[in-house]
Amino acid sequence: MHDFTITDQNAEDWTLSDHLDAPAVLVFLRGDW
Amino acid sequence: MFGVVIDSPEQNAAMIDKLELPFPILSDPDRSAAIEPYGAADPKDQRNIAKPTVVVVGTDGSELFRMESRDFADRLPEEELVEALQAMDLPPTSQEPPVTGPAEPGPKAMPREALVPYYRGARFAAVALGNRHPQAKEDADRYVAQMDRYVGALKA
Repeated sequence: MHDFTITDQNAEDWTLSDHLDAPAVLVFLRGDW
Repeated sequence: MFGVVIDSPEQNAAMIDKLELPFPILSDPDRSAAIEPYGAADPKDQRNIAKPTVVVVGTDGSELFRMESRDFADRLPEEELVEALQAMDLPPTSQEPPVTGPAEPGPKAMPREALVPYYRGARFAAVALGNRHPQAKEDADRYVAQMDRYVGALKA
């Protein structure tokens, strides 16, 4: 698995491996809005 | 469910508020942390955006599912996605709605009330192009259906 840490909408760190108590659905969106 | 985009946390907070999204949106501004490693960067697009892609990561870190669009304008059909996820028979789970911090829409962000006329305009253009170019009719029809879904969701 590629683990990563990026920031959420509150500018707080978010790490994938901290959220795998259930399968995680990652939705990559185009952005640049 | 977690969204990942190149936009700033403030822009993402504004998008969550505007669309009442029930999931967090994460910021990967240079695409290096998640977008590129998960194969969601579009090397043909020079704007540094992501290609709409869905990846399900299992509790053991394995990739359970992947669905990719062809380019930025190609959105994944929600019905197909939900059907595929349901077929995986994943255990039920719940997710608290995201709490948003300071919100600042990006310079290209449209107000919510502008989205329906925008999608209708895009729909009409796709219909016209599909009629003019038979080789693109299938793509145009797919785009038209996408716009119809978006308008329906905004009116729901």
